[in-house]
Amino acid sequence: MRRTEDVMGMPITIDVRDGDADLAPVYDELRRIDELFSTFKPDSEICRINDGRLALAVAGPEVHEVLALCDTYEARTGGFFSARRDGALDPSGLVKGWAIARAAAMLDARDHRSYFVDAGGDVQTRGSSGGSEPWRVGIRHPIERGSFVRVVLARDLAVATSGTYEKGPHILDPHTGRAATDLVSLTVIGRTILEADVLATAAFAMGHRAIDYLENIPGYEAYAIDPSLQATWTSGFDAWCERPAVGV
Amino acid sequence: MSRALATLAATVIGVYWLVTFKVTPAPVDVPVAAAPSSRTTPAPGARATSTPTPVAPTAQGGTAFTGTTIETIWGPVQVRIAVAGGKIVDATALQLPSDRSRSARISQYSAPILRSEAIQAQSARVDIVSGATYTSRAYALSLDSALKHAQGQ
Repeated sequence: MRRTEDVMGMPITIDVRDGDADLAPVYDELRRIDELFSTFKPDSEICRINDGRLALAVAGPEVHEVLALCDTYEARTGGFFSARRDGALDPSGLVKGWAIARAAAMLDARDHRSYFVDAGGDVQTRGSSGGSEPWRVGIRHPIERGSFVRVVLARDLAVATSGTYEKGPHILDPHTGRAATDLVSLTVIGRTILEADVLATAAFAMGHRAIDYLENIPGYEAYAIDPSLQATWTSGFDAWCERPAVGV
Repeated sequence: MSRALATLAATVIGVYWLVTFKVTPAPVDVPVAAAPSSRTTPAPGARATSTPTPVAPTAQGGTAFTGTTIETIWGPVQVRIAVAGGKIVDATALQLPSDRSRSARISQYSAPILRSEAIQAQSARVDIVSGATYTSRAYALSLDSALKHAQGQ
Protein backbone atom coordinates (compact mmCIF):
# COMPACT_ATOMS: atom_id res chain seq x y z
CA MET A 1 0.00 0.00 0.00
CA ARG A 2 1.15 3.42 -0.93
CA ARG A 3 0.16 6.81 0.34
CA THR A 4 1.35 10.37 -0.13
CA GLU A 5 0.58 13.35 2.07
CA ASP A 6 2.02 16.84 2.13
CA VAL A 7 3.83 17.41 5.40
CA MET A 8 6.66 19.84 6.17
CA GLY A 9 5.98 21.56 2.86
CA MET A 10 6.79 18.52 0.77
CA PRO A 11 5.14 15.35 -0.44
CA ILE A 12 5.94 12.42 1.83
CA THR A 13 5.29 9.02 0.29
CA ILE A 14 5.20 5.80 2.28
CA ASP A 15 5.00 2.53 0.39
CA VAL A 16 4.62 -0.67 2.40
CA ARG A 17 4.83 -3.95 0.50
CA ASP A 18 4.51 -6.55 3.24
CA GLY A 19 0.93 -6.39 4.32
CA ASP A 20 -1.49 -3.75 5.45
CA ALA A 21 -0.09 -0.87 7.39
CA ASP A 22 -1.97 1.75 9.35
CA LEU A 23 -0.17 4.82 8.08
CA ALA A 24 -2.34 7.41 9.79
CA PRO A 25 -0.30 7.37 13.04
CA VAL A 26 2.91 7.70 11.04
CA TYR A 27 1.68 10.81 9.27
CA ASP A 28 0.35 12.15 12.57
CA GLU A 29 3.84 11.78 13.98
CA LEU A 30 5.38 13.58 11.01
CA ARG A 31 2.92 16.45 11.46
CA ARG A 32 3.72 16.59 15.16
CA ILE A 33 7.44 16.83 14.37
CA ASP A 34 6.70 19.65 11.92
CA GLU A 35 4.75 21.51 14.62
CA LEU A 36 7.81 21.29 16.87
CA PHE A 37 10.54 22.17 14.40
CA SER A 38 9.06 24.23 11.59
CA THR A 39 10.79 27.53 10.96
CA PHE A 40 7.63 28.69 9.17
CA LYS A 41 5.12 28.07 11.96
CA PRO A 42 5.28 30.91 14.49
CA ASP A 43 4.31 28.67 17.39
CA SER A 44 6.84 25.91 16.77
CA GLU A 45 9.37 25.46 19.53
CA ILE A 46 12.13 26.54 17.17
CA CYS A 47 10.37 29.81 16.30
CA ARG A 48 9.54 30.49 19.92
CA ILE A 49 13.18 29.93 20.87
CA ASN A 50 14.32 32.24 18.09
CA ASP A 51 12.03 35.09 19.05
CA GLY A 52 12.70 34.74 22.76
CA ARG A 53 9.36 33.34 23.86
CA LEU A 54 10.85 29.99 24.87
CA ALA A 55 14.07 29.50 26.77
CA LEU A 56 16.23 26.84 25.19
CA ALA A 57 16.73 25.28 28.61
CA VAL A 58 13.02 24.50 28.94
CA ALA A 59 12.46 23.36 25.36
CA GLY A 60 11.29 19.78 24.90
CA PRO A 61 13.56 16.75 24.91
CA GLU A 62 13.19 16.21 21.16
CA VAL A 63 14.43 19.70 20.44
CA HIS A 64 17.42 19.04 22.63
CA GLU A 65 18.03 15.71 20.94
CA VAL A 66 17.94 17.27 17.48
CA LEU A 67 20.13 20.21 18.45
CA ALA A 68 22.66 17.85 20.04
CA LEU A 69 22.75 15.87 16.80
CA CYS A 70 23.23 19.10 14.87
CA ASP A 71 26.19 19.99 17.07
CA THR A 72 27.68 16.54 16.52
CA TYR A 73 27.43 16.81 12.75
CA GLU A 74 28.62 20.39 12.72
CA ALA A 75 31.80 19.23 14.43
CA ARG A 76 32.15 16.16 12.23
CA THR A 77 31.77 18.13 9.01
CA GLY A 78 34.14 20.90 9.97
CA GLY A 79 31.27 23.35 10.22
CA PHE A 80 29.85 22.69 6.76
CA PHE A 81 26.66 21.46 8.36
CA SER A 82 25.19 24.03 10.68
CA ALA A 83 21.87 24.49 12.46
CA ARG A 84 22.50 28.17 12.94
CA ARG A 85 21.93 30.83 10.36
CA ASP A 86 22.34 34.53 11.06
CA GLY A 87 22.33 33.76 14.75
CA ALA A 88 19.00 31.93 14.62
CA LEU A 89 18.36 28.24 15.07
CA ASP A 90 17.41 26.40 11.91
CA PRO A 91 17.82 22.64 12.33
CA SER A 92 15.65 21.83 9.30
CA GLY A 93 18.66 20.41 7.46
CA LEU A 94 18.67 17.59 9.97
CA VAL A 95 15.02 17.39 10.95
CA LYS A 96 13.92 15.99 7.61
CA GLY A 97 16.21 12.97 7.85
CA TRP A 98 15.41 12.61 11.53
CA ALA A 99 11.69 12.60 10.76
CA ILE A 100 12.09 10.00 8.00
CA ALA A 101 14.03 7.86 10.46
CA ARG A 102 11.23 8.26 12.99
CA ALA A 103 8.64 7.13 10.49
CA ALA A 104 10.81 4.18 9.51
CA ALA A 105 11.24 3.21 13.16
CA MET A 106 7.46 3.21 13.61
CA LEU A 107 7.10 0.85 10.66
CA ASP A 108 9.92 -1.34 12.00
CA ALA A 109 8.14 -1.52 15.33
CA ARG A 110 5.06 -2.79 13.51
CA ASP A 111 7.18 -5.58 12.01
CA HIS A 112 7.27 -4.19 8.51
CA ARG A 113 10.40 -5.22 6.60
CA SER A 114 9.55 -4.10 3.08
CA TYR A 115 8.83 -0.40 2.69
CA PHE A 116 10.19 3.01 1.92
CA VAL A 117 9.64 6.47 3.34
CA ASP A 118 10.32 9.22 0.80
CA ALA A 119 10.28 12.87 1.84
CA GLY A 120 10.80 15.14 -1.12
CA GLY A 121 13.33 12.88 -2.80
CA ASP A 122 15.19 11.78 0.31
CA VAL A 123 14.34 8.18 1.07
CA GLN A 124 14.92 5.40 3.52
CA THR A 125 14.28 1.98 2.05
CA ARG A 126 13.82 -1.20 4.03
CA GLY A 127 14.20 -4.69 2.66
CA SER A 128 13.13 -5.33 -0.88
CA SER A 129 10.32 -3.99 -3.02
CA GLY A 130 8.71 -7.39 -3.17
CA GLY A 131 10.16 -10.83 -3.66
CA SER A 132 13.90 -10.40 -3.90
CA GLU A 133 13.79 -7.23 -5.97
CA PRO A 134 15.63 -4.20 -4.63
CA TRP A 135 14.01 -0.81 -4.53
CA ARG A 136 14.93 1.08 -7.66
CA VAL A 137 15.83 4.67 -6.85
CA GLY A 138 16.37 6.87 -9.88
CA ILE A 139 18.72 9.81 -9.56
CA ARG A 140 17.03 12.47 -11.58
CA HIS A 141 18.77 13.94 -14.55
CA PRO A 142 19.09 17.66 -13.81
CA ILE A 143 17.97 18.74 -17.27
CA GLU A 144 16.01 15.99 -18.95
CA ARG A 145 12.77 15.58 -17.12
CA GLY A 146 11.71 12.05 -16.53
CA SER A 147 15.12 10.54 -17.13
CA PHE A 148 17.78 9.40 -14.71
CA VAL A 149 21.53 9.45 -14.56
CA ARG A 150 21.78 6.38 -12.35
CA VAL A 151 19.44 3.85 -10.83
CA VAL A 152 20.46 2.87 -7.31
CA LEU A 153 19.44 -0.64 -6.31
CA ALA A 154 18.52 -0.15 -2.70
CA ARG A 155 18.07 -2.72 0.05
CA ASP A 156 17.96 -1.23 3.52
CA LEU A 157 19.64 1.74 1.91
CA ALA A 158 19.04 5.45 2.31
CA VAL A 159 19.36 7.85 -0.60
CA ALA A 160 19.50 11.62 -0.12
CA THR A 161 19.99 14.28 -2.77
CA SER A 162 20.83 17.91 -2.18
CA GLY A 163 20.44 20.14 -5.12
CA THR A 164 20.04 23.54 -6.60
CA TYR A 165 16.41 23.01 -7.29
CA GLU A 166 14.30 25.04 -9.60
CA LYS A 167 13.79 27.66 -6.97
CA GLY A 168 17.49 28.42 -7.30
CA PRO A 169 20.46 28.08 -4.98
CA HIS A 170 19.32 27.55 -1.42
CA ILE A 171 22.08 25.75 0.44
CA LEU A 172 24.39 28.20 2.12
CA ASP A 173 28.03 27.64 2.87
CA PRO A 174 28.04 28.33 6.62
CA HIS A 175 31.58 29.64 6.37
CA THR A 176 30.80 32.34 3.83
CA GLY A 177 27.04 32.80 4.22
CA ARG A 178 26.75 32.56 0.45
CA ALA A 179 24.85 30.08 -1.64
CA ALA A 180 26.87 27.03 -2.60
CA THR A 181 27.00 26.94 -6.40
CA ASP A 182 29.77 24.51 -7.33
CA LEU A 183 27.29 21.65 -7.70
CA VAL A 184 23.74 21.33 -8.97
CA SER A 185 23.10 17.91 -7.47
CA LEU A 186 24.75 15.72 -4.87
CA THR A 187 23.39 12.30 -4.00
CA VAL A 188 24.61 10.43 -0.93
CA ILE A 189 23.73 6.80 -0.22
CA GLY A 190 24.32 4.80 2.92
CA ARG A 191 22.68 2.97 5.77
CA THR A 192 20.75 5.72 7.48
CA ILE A 193 18.82 8.60 6.03
CA LEU A 194 19.78 10.88 8.90
CA GLU A 195 23.48 10.66 8.05
CA ALA A 196 23.00 10.50 4.30
CA ASP A 197 20.89 13.65 4.35
CA VAL A 198 23.20 15.58 6.63
CA LEU A 199 26.25 14.51 4.63
CA ALA A 200 24.56 15.53 1.39
CA THR A 201 23.79 18.98 2.76
CA ALA A 202 27.25 19.48 4.25
CA ALA A 203 29.20 18.18 1.28
CA PHE A 204 27.04 20.17 -1.15
CA ALA A 205 28.30 23.29 0.62
CA MET A 206 31.87 22.02 0.16
CA GLY A 207 31.39 22.23 -3.60
CA HIS A 208 34.10 20.66 -5.69
CA ARG A 209 35.62 19.02 -2.63
CA ALA A 210 32.45 17.09 -1.90
CA ILE A 211 33.41 13.80 -3.50
CA ASP A 212 36.89 13.80 -1.99
CA TYR A 213 35.33 14.39 1.39
CA LEU A 214 32.73 11.66 1.01
CA GLU A 215 35.28 9.20 -0.35
CA ASN A 216 36.71 9.17 3.14
CA ILE A 217 33.43 8.64 4.99
CA PRO A 218 33.04 4.90 5.67
CA GLY A 219 29.73 3.40 4.67
CA TYR A 220 28.64 6.21 2.37
CA GLU A 221 28.98 6.73 -1.36
CA ALA A 222 28.10 9.73 -3.47
CA TYR A 223 27.43 11.04 -6.96
CA ALA A 224 27.85 14.73 -7.81
CA ILE A 225 26.82 16.79 -10.83
CA ASP A 226 28.26 20.25 -11.46
CA PRO A 227 26.64 23.13 -13.39
CA SER A 228 28.22 22.13 -16.68
CA LEU A 229 26.65 18.70 -16.06
CA GLN A 230 29.89 16.90 -15.40
CA ALA A 231 29.52 14.09 -12.91
CA THR A 232 31.98 12.72 -10.41
CA TRP A 233 31.40 9.96 -7.91
CA THR A 234 33.03 8.02 -5.15
CA SER A 235 34.85 4.82 -5.96
CA GLY A 236 32.22 2.53 -4.47
CA PHE A 237 29.16 4.23 -5.90
CA ASP A 238 28.72 2.18 -9.04
CA ALA A 239 28.57 -1.03 -7.05
CA TRP A 240 25.16 0.11 -5.81
CA CYS A 241 23.84 1.00 -9.23
CA GLU A 242 22.01 -0.96 -11.86
CA ARG A 243 24.98 -0.91 -14.14
CA PRO A 244 28.47 0.53 -13.90
CA ALA A 245 29.08 3.82 -15.61
CA VAL A 246 29.85 3.42 -19.27
CA GLY A 247 33.26 4.69 -20.25
CA VAL A 248 35.17 4.07 -17.04
CA MET B 1 38.51 11.71 -16.12
CA SER B 2 36.41 9.80 -18.56
CA ARG B 3 33.85 8.64 -16.08
CA ALA B 4 32.85 12.21 -15.47
CA LEU B 5 31.60 12.48 -19.00
CA ALA B 6 28.66 10.22 -18.58
CA THR B 7 26.19 12.69 -17.19
CA LEU B 8 26.71 15.37 -19.73
CA ALA B 9 26.74 12.71 -22.37
CA ALA B 10 23.29 11.69 -21.30
CA THR B 11 22.15 15.26 -21.58
CA VAL B 12 23.27 15.91 -25.08
CA ILE B 13 22.29 12.59 -26.53
CA GLY B 14 19.05 13.82 -27.98
CA VAL B 15 20.63 16.84 -29.55
CA TYR B 16 23.58 14.76 -30.62
CA TRP B 17 21.38 12.70 -32.84
CA LEU B 18 19.70 15.81 -34.08
CA VAL B 19 23.00 17.36 -35.10
CA THR B 20 24.26 14.14 -36.57
CA PHE B 21 21.18 13.91 -38.65
CA LYS B 22 21.07 17.50 -39.76
CA VAL B 23 24.73 18.30 -40.21
CA THR B 24 26.18 15.21 -41.76
CA PRO B 25 24.93 14.11 -45.13
CA ALA B 26 25.83 10.52 -44.32
CA PRO B 27 22.93 8.30 -43.34
CA VAL B 28 22.57 7.51 -39.71
CA ASP B 29 21.62 4.09 -38.48
CA VAL B 30 19.76 5.16 -35.42
CA PRO B 31 16.26 6.33 -34.81
CA VAL B 32 16.37 10.06 -35.07
CA ALA B 33 14.77 11.49 -32.02
CA ALA B 34 13.31 14.79 -32.97
CA ALA B 35 13.86 17.45 -30.39
CA PRO B 36 10.88 17.44 -28.09
CA SER B 37 8.55 20.21 -29.03
CA SER B 38 8.55 21.36 -25.43
CA ARG B 39 12.07 22.61 -26.00
CA THR B 40 10.75 25.36 -28.17
CA THR B 41 8.18 26.44 -25.66
CA PRO B 42 9.56 29.16 -23.44
CA ALA B 43 9.51 28.41 -19.78
CA PRO B 44 7.17 30.51 -17.69
CA GLY B 45 9.07 33.62 -16.76
CA ALA B 46 11.89 32.87 -19.16
CA ARG B 47 12.66 35.08 -22.08
CA ALA B 48 15.36 35.30 -24.65
CA THR B 49 17.49 38.39 -24.36
CA SER B 50 19.91 37.87 -27.19
CA THR B 51 20.09 36.18 -30.50
CA PRO B 52 22.52 33.35 -31.23
CA THR B 53 26.01 34.63 -31.82
CA PRO B 54 27.86 34.09 -35.08
CA VAL B 55 29.76 30.94 -35.80
CA ALA B 56 33.23 30.80 -34.32
CA PRO B 57 36.04 28.28 -34.60
CA THR B 58 36.90 26.29 -31.49
CA ALA B 59 40.07 25.01 -29.94
CA GLN B 60 38.98 21.52 -30.92
CA GLY B 61 38.95 22.47 -34.55
CA GLY B 62 35.19 22.32 -34.72
CA THR B 63 32.66 25.04 -35.14
CA ALA B 64 31.08 26.73 -32.18
CA PHE B 65 27.45 27.71 -31.93
CA THR B 66 26.32 29.81 -29.05
CA GLY B 67 22.76 29.58 -27.88
CA THR B 68 20.46 32.41 -27.03
CA THR B 69 20.80 33.78 -23.54
CA ILE B 70 17.69 32.79 -21.63
CA GLU B 71 16.80 34.99 -18.70
CA THR B 72 15.34 33.25 -15.70
CA ILE B 73 14.35 34.82 -12.46
CA TRP B 74 17.63 33.54 -11.03
CA GLY B 75 19.78 34.87 -13.81
CA PRO B 76 20.88 34.18 -17.36
CA VAL B 77 21.50 30.76 -18.85
CA GLN B 78 23.52 30.37 -22.03
CA VAL B 79 24.96 27.29 -23.68
CA ARG B 80 27.65 26.94 -26.32
CA ILE B 81 28.27 23.82 -28.33
CA ALA B 82 31.09 22.88 -30.68
CA VAL B 83 30.33 20.67 -33.64
CA ALA B 84 32.96 18.76 -35.61
CA GLY B 85 32.37 15.97 -38.06
CA GLY B 86 28.68 16.08 -37.35
CA LYS B 87 29.15 15.53 -33.63
CA ILE B 88 28.93 17.75 -30.63
CA VAL B 89 32.50 17.70 -29.38
CA ASP B 90 32.09 20.31 -26.68
CA ALA B 91 29.28 21.74 -24.63
CA THR B 92 29.81 24.63 -22.31
CA ALA B 93 27.54 26.49 -19.98
CA LEU B 94 28.65 30.06 -20.67
CA GLN B 95 26.26 31.58 -18.22
CA LEU B 96 24.43 30.10 -15.29
CA PRO B 97 22.57 31.78 -12.47
CA SER B 98 25.37 30.89 -10.12
CA ASP B 99 27.14 33.88 -11.70
CA ARG B 100 30.10 31.69 -12.50
CA SER B 101 30.81 30.68 -16.02
CA ARG B 102 31.71 27.07 -16.42
CA SER B 103 33.85 25.84 -19.19
CA ALA B 104 34.44 22.23 -18.33
CA ARG B 105 34.20 20.35 -21.54
CA ILE B 106 33.27 16.99 -22.82
CA SER B 107 35.63 16.87 -25.76
CA GLN B 108 36.49 13.67 -27.53
CA TYR B 109 33.86 11.43 -26.08
CA SER B 110 32.74 8.76 -28.45
CA ALA B 111 29.37 8.17 -29.95
CA PRO B 112 28.94 4.57 -28.74
CA ILE B 113 29.29 5.72 -25.18
CA LEU B 114 26.67 8.35 -25.72
CA ARG B 115 24.33 5.92 -27.30
CA SER B 116 24.26 3.29 -24.62
CA GLU B 117 24.33 5.77 -21.80
CA ALA B 118 21.43 7.73 -23.15
CA ILE B 119 19.29 4.72 -23.71
CA GLN B 120 19.87 3.52 -20.19
CA ALA B 121 19.26 6.92 -18.74
CA GLN B 122 15.96 7.46 -20.42
CA SER B 123 14.33 4.08 -20.18
CA ALA B 124 14.74 3.39 -16.50
CA ARG B 125 11.80 2.18 -14.50
CA VAL B 126 12.07 3.31 -10.92
CA ASP B 127 10.15 3.03 -7.67
CA ILE B 128 11.46 6.27 -6.22
CA VAL B 129 12.94 9.47 -7.65
CA SER B 130 15.77 11.31 -5.93
CA GLY B 131 17.29 14.42 -7.36
CA ALA B 132 17.28 18.01 -8.36
CA THR B 133 16.26 19.85 -11.46
CA TYR B 134 18.22 22.89 -12.33
CA THR B 135 17.09 25.72 -14.57
CA SER B 136 16.29 22.94 -16.94
CA ARG B 137 13.93 24.67 -19.30
CA ALA B 138 16.26 27.62 -19.76
CA TYR B 139 19.21 25.33 -20.40
CA ALA B 140 17.29 23.31 -22.94
CA LEU B 141 16.06 26.46 -24.67
CA SER B 142 19.56 27.84 -25.07
CA LEU B 143 20.86 24.49 -26.24
CA ASP B 144 18.02 24.26 -28.73
CA SER B 145 18.88 27.70 -30.03
CA ALA B 146 22.55 26.72 -30.51
CA LEU B 147 21.46 23.60 -32.36
CA LYS B 148 19.13 25.46 -34.66
CA HIS B 149 22.00 27.74 -35.46
CA ALA B 150 24.21 24.75 -36.20
CA GLN B 151 21.58 23.22 -38.46
CA GLY B 152 21.27 26.45 -40.42
CA GLN B 153 24.89 26.37 -41.50
